[in-house]
Amino acid sequence: MNNINDIVDRIVSEKGKTSEKVIPILQAIQSELNYLPEEALKRVCEITDITQSQISGISTFYSQFRHQPVGEHIVRVCVGTACHVKGAGQVYDAFRRELKLAADSDTDEQKKFTLEEVACLGCCTLAPVVQIDDVTYGHVETGTVKDVLEDFLLKEGSESEEKVRTLSEKGLPQGEIRIGLGSCCIASGSSGVKEALEDTLDTSGINVDVKQVGCVGVCNQVPMMEIHKPGEDAVYYTKLKSEDVGDIIQKHFKSDSFMNRFKSKFYNYAENLTFTDIPQSSARYSVNEKDTPIAEFLKGQINIATEYRGEIRPSDFEEYKSKEGFKALEKCLKEMNPDQIIDEIENSGLKGRGGAGFPSAIKWRLVKQAQSEKKYIICNGDEGDPGAFMDRMLLESYPFRVIEGIIIAAYAVGATEGRLYIRAEYPLAVERIREGIKICREKGILGKNILGSDFSFDMEIFEGAGAFVCGEETALIASIEGQRGIPKLRPPYPAEKGLWEQPTLINNTETFSLVPWILRNGADDFNKIGTEKSKGTKVFALAGKINRGGLIEVPMGITIRQIVEEIGGGIANGKKFKAVQIGGPSGGCIPADMADTTIDFDSLKEVGAMMGSGGLIVLDESDCMVDIARYFLSFTQEESCGRCTFCRIGTRRMLEILDKIKSGKGKLEDLDLLEKLAINTKKGSICGLGQTAPNPVLSTLKYFRHEYEAHIKGTCPSGKCEDLILYEIEDECTGCTKCAQRCPVDAIEAKPYELHKVDNELCIKCDICRQICPVDAVVIR
Amino acid sequence: MVKLKIDNKDIEVSAGTTVLKAAESVGIHIPSMCYLDGCSNHPTCMVCMVKDTQTGKMMPSCATKVVDGMNLASEDAEVFEARKEAVELLLSDHVGDCEAPCRVACPAFMDIPKMNRFIAQGKFDEALEIVKEEIALPHILGHICSAPCEKVCRRKDVDEAVSICILKRTSAEKSENTYLPEVDKASSKKVAIIGSGVAGLAASYHILRAGHKCTLFEKESVIGGMLQTAITKDEMPQEVLDSEIEILQKLGLEIKLNSPVNSDNFESIREEYDAVIIASGSDSDEIAKLNLDFKGEKEAFKTNLPDVFAGGSLVRLQKMAVKALAQGKELAHSVNQSLNGQEIKASKRKFNSRFGVLRQTEALEYLKESVEGNRKEIKNTAGAMAEAARCLHCDCRKIDNCKLRDCAETYQADRRKFLMGDRETLKKHFNHESIVYEPEKCIKCGLCVEIAQRNKELTGLTFIGRGFDVEMAVPFNQNISVALTQTAHKCAEVCPTGALALK
Repeated sequence: MNNINDIVDRIVSEKGKTSEKVIPILQAIQSELNYLPEEALKRVCEITDITQSQISGISTFYSQFRHQPVGEHIVRVCVGTACHVKGAGQVYDAFRRELKLAADSDTDEQKKFTLEEVACLGCCTLAPVVQIDDVTYGHVETGTVKDVLEDFLLKEGSESEEKVRTLSEKGLPQGEIRIGLGSCCIASGSSGVKEALEDTLDTSGINVDVKQVGCVGVCNQVPMMEIHKPGEDAVYYTKLKSEDVGDIIQKHFKSDSFMNRFKSKFYNYAENLTFTDIPQSSARYSVNEKDTPIAEFLKGQINIATEYRGEIRPSDFEEYKSKEGFKALEKCLKEMNPDQIIDEIENSGLKGRGGAGFPSAIKWRLVKQAQSEKKYIICNGDEGDPGAFMDRMLLESYPFRVIEGIIIAAYAVGATEGRLYIRAEYPLAVERIREGIKICREKGILGKNILGSDFSFDMEIFEGAGAFVCGEETALIASIEGQRGIPKLRPPYPAEKGLWEQPTLINNTETFSLVPWILRNGADDFNKIGTEKSKGTKVFALAGKINRGGLIEVPMGITIRQIVEEIGGGIANGKKFKAVQIGGPSGGCIPADMADTTIDFDSLKEVGAMMGSGGLIVLDESDCMVDIARYFLSFTQEESCGRCTFCRIGTRRMLEILDKIKSGKGKLEDLDLLEKLAINTKKGSICGLGQTAPNPVLSTLKYFRHEYEAHIKGTCPSGKCEDLILYEIEDECTGCTKCAQRCPVDAIEAKPYELHKVDNELCIKCDICRQICPVDAVVIR
Repeated sequence: MVKLKIDNKDIEVSAGTTVLKAAESVGIHIPSMCYLDGCSNHPTCMVCMVKDTQTGKMMPSCATKVVDGMNLASEDAEVFEARKEAVELLLSDHVGDCEAPCRVACPAFMDIPKMNRFIAQGKFDEALEIVKEEIALPHILGHICSAPCEKVCRRKDVDEAVSICILKRTSAEKSENTYLPEVDKASSKKVAIIGSGVAGLAASYHILRAGHKCTLFEKESVIGGMLQTAITKDEMPQEVLDSEIEILQKLGLEIKLNSPVNSDNFESIREEYDAVIIASGSDSDEIAKLNLDFKGEKEAFKTNLPDVFAGGSLVRLQKMAVKALAQGKELAHSVNQSLNGQEIKASKRKFNSRFGVLRQTEALEYLKESVEGNRKEIKNTAGAMAEAARCLHCDCRKIDNCKLRDCAETYQADRRKFLMGDRETLKKHFNHESIVYEPEKCIKCGLCVEIAQRNKELTGLTFIGRGFDVEMAVPFNQNISVALTQTAHKCAEVCPTGALALK
């Protein structure tokens, strides 16, 4: 097949022939051929410096790469934490059944769909989430899997082309409408709302600025629209549906001509005969109203990394500038020398937001003091925690802020070249940053002699290829260098020997996002916020069994209780608060009775959790802690690079012990075995992944040992672990047969108007019957 | 120069030295499997961990550079436990036998596969030499052994067990009259053995080989004990026994027939000889009257008298000849230690990895380096060679130089501790002319991958996948003979386990 060779040859001529280009080359091949045929890989080795050994090692290390062709559409079931606790595993199984997948295949017979699990789509508030190609479905249940597939096929190919509305010549706008277009907003239907809005404005001729802002943070209320009119209080509409848009616009704005107004009125009258006032499905709040869900949610938050949240267009350079953007950079370049900048960072008390909380100034100073011709700077945007999407939101919504922070740091440490490492799973973030870099180059903010100074600096994006371990700095560097993402023993730290063996500053996205604010407002202002040892704010992705989830930026020192009860509005569905899981797979579970623990680096570590990168999942009484521990461990086990014995084999054995316990076959001795292995795995691993992987197990063993013991005695107190539960139907059953009709394994016999019965021998615990029962007669024992 | 302490020893080494090397410089041995001088040494195995006594943190000593003021522990209980657990984890993912099941089942621990390989090549002298390392009386045993080895022979999973017992007899028949084992330098020590049954005869053989003088006291007029009373001449012709005795006499054995030992002469025998072995069988009333306290196998067959050792059916009735023979060997082992002034310890078999039952597909893998077909009749040399060739080579090629086995032994690892999930299915790659690759024995140290890369092997080796499923393999599933064209020997040599080994 000459064809494949031609494609490879063209890609190589675009990307380059040196060995570090291997990942971009493979990504390009896959995006054209949808997988990596062996023929293509061999061709790459023929015409580049890349060896067979390297390409085989790389293409099998990163989970983005596929060696088998896939179906026409890809179904991605999010198995992030929030989705997991809401039944993503059962949803995944339901898709397997519905698509009739063979045990060893992820693609159906017709080659129509390929099923994948994805670590986190970052739409935690819509859990469980499923993405088919670029269409996202939220709140999917096992019982609705069939409908999801049908809906997708029905609408396939009928998407209307996206309309981009520009400022028209229709005179001064009457106001501004803001719509959040972060990935999660889009997933919840924001783009549909936007289209409906544009339609309405087009037909009515109303002249209003439609502003596509970044993530609004209030993920629990999206799609959301804010209407700002001069001289009036802003009004929010939450949980919007696209069909409601026309009516809302009519209430707020007048068409510019009588004819148009008449037309649009008539049009809407005809279309919306059933509506009387504000559509039922959307809730309306004024910005000044107290005690609304939005006001409560936003109260107690401080926006530094997320400054101007929901107000600025992500890619609008002028607007960023008008809101004090690049002021800090200018100040640094014109009024400060590198040492003064680092002193300022030191005085602010800033610690790295990637999880470990290392003082940023120390890192910066090490790199500055390192003697080298060439220094690099890397922004770590390889956010891979299931249940965390802070970096994604920052990159998507505030690309210029991230860029500004990086340039300031580069100037301070003397770096001339930068890399922004972003997960390939975040296409929108990649797009926005790419655009941001391009604009900054045009505006003289990147490149030679930045803002007329002597300082020259440029950077490029490196797209990660799917390996959680690359969040570890040495693995990330290996990845950029075109190697398998295997962490190295430190020291030497990247500050001495980093990218290409040169001194390298590597910080997390959020850390860089805080930098401009600190330098603009002064270290003292930042230092005032927070606790004695942890200063400033922290962004969290708040999700799980909570009323109001979303992205929050809170001052250090806030208590867990404040977050859960005040910002999050307490536990959903009247259930009992059981624990919070902080820090994702590296973190731990903190029980409800310790909810007064403050959020800061030290106190979290003290109770056996960790700041991590900022996932905060709230758990209620129906969550099984053994299951939660197993969930996180299965994640890290899957993501281990495989180098250190303890991480490679130890995490697997721990998982097997947990499986044994979950299935009721565990013994009391297993708990000791598990605990000792967990402790040794912490000690005997060289990187953060292995050192923290046992945390979820150790913290649950510490606070919820009784749940482990209950499993050993044969019961799962939360009714979660499949092997320890039975489904039963109680007397409330009306004999409607719905459960029997939907049961995928015929474990319920249809007997109209009679009490139904579940045959637990056949039952696969898919939960469809319980979800579908109109009278809640199906119970778990 | 950098100053540090390891196990409270002051050390001064140049900057840039690893902790492992610093420890070595003062004679502290730290085990490591993945370390190799001259390689990049990214730590993987983690058995070289040491502990920083100030912070309590563990670090791999092979890659950690010394820092002034370090105070490290390499031998405390916590370090020991962590290293042990690392080894146990590696063992849980290591599918392979160290010793072949037949050898493990043999009470005398005879190296059966090695014998088979020599016989298959027609090297009967060499085969017998292997046999007589452990088996003093191969010709006798060749007739009367119940052959527990054959009951566990993996060849059974393909067709029939290898005729181990007869092969052993054949090697004895062919070479025993010409082959005499080497004997250590004469020691001037004298040992008396009471009883000339299998245990006594076997003990005498191992005593003589150690360079001591040996006298056998037999109360009857004929030699052989139970061999005379319980074995028919059909089972074993008298000439077989005679020829074995002749060989022992060639080695210097003195035999006293019609010489019962009892409370009258026991003390004088003790006085005359440096050590006494009692192997007199279960029906010896006279010995019972000596009122000795027998300690048994676990305590190296000691008695309450420091120079007297007792075994054989006297201590516990032995119906299986090979067990009696094994005890004779153990008795000699205790006596030899005693005469050399060493601490007397029961011999302990070295750590042994075992994976249990062979699966059907695995049997086929094993068969690749053997020959097809049922048992051959062993009538002549050619028949013996053909039968021996049926052996599946179940023993590991790195039996004597496997770092995993050594570490398992050092840390007394429990190989079963983490046996939980299904074990991997064993594979053997033979298509390289000089090496064999057994992926399930690999501990993922990466040395071979690096060596192939440094020597610019065109195909080389690579790691496929990641995490628990990572596997060392040839790119694009090519043949291992393509992968290693010049570095095969080097890779096999440095491989810490039997994953890569010379054929």
